[in-house]
Amino acid sequence: MEGTEFYLDLASDPRLLNGVRGLIRGYLVSAGVTGEQADCIVLAVDEACANSIRHSYGGSRDYRIRLIARRDATGIEFELRDDGVPAELERCKKKESIGVPDGSTLQPGGLGVQLMHEVFDEVTFTPGQERGNRVTMRLSLPVNPGSVKRAQDG
Amino acid sequence: MPLEIDKQGGAGSWVIAVRGEVDLYSSPELRTAITKAMPKSGGSVTVNLSGVPYMDSSGVATLVEGYRSALETGTQFVLAAPSQAVMKVLQLSRLDSVFTIREGA
Repeated sequence: MEGTEFYLDLASDPRLLNGVRGLIRGYLVSAGVTGEQADCIVLAVDEACANSIRHSYGGSRDYRIRLIARRDATGIEFELRDDGVPAELERCKKKESIGVPDGSTLQPGGLGVQLMHEVFDEVTFTPGQERGNRVTMRLSLPVNPGSVKRAQDG
Repeated sequence: MPLEIDKQGGAGSWVIAVRGEVDLYSSPELRTAITKAMPKSGGSVTVNLSGVPYMDSSGVATLVEGYRSALETGTQFVLAAPSQAVMKVLQLSRLDSVFTIREGA
């Protein structure tokens, strides 16, 4: 990704997610994103990682997930790549309505992908032909002059 | 980081106090605690979420499972004092109106 500012390789181990969230939060601060907006982005990127662990790798802990992020003047973009089982695109679509007031028909699965769609403006799943997935998540977030403290300045 | 889960009560009325981040790694602990506390019929299970600074969709799914289980057993299932982070993920999931939520512990 051109202009990459954040680059992380991690194992597909759910025990690492806590630390990964901390790293993402730190990156967001350096990119001028804080508060509730940062909380939501951390949640959605965490969901993408968890989705990769659960579905691409079936819970196996020894595989690689690559996380890349980039901030530009108009927004912030995260990209996740894995080498696991290609996603079923039907399962990755944004649903118009998640959750229903009648709890008896409520299903516990599939929330993670929907949270990613809720937080980001664009979420694109690109499964490989035989192996692997690329997930890009972009949020329009114009830079407020003076609010961005880029890593290279510090 | 393991969850700290404290269960108090008796006679089919339980309060489960959760402390720590609920995510893909830790949510099975919460699932086990809720399942063990769920009465065979009637009663109540209250999950106090004031000490949860982060919850992901696996945590929400765990609460949904508890909610569905409680519906089947006629048990009152209450979320007590959810933190701001928990409320946010429930709102993003559009489930904040589904659960019975009590603001105080």
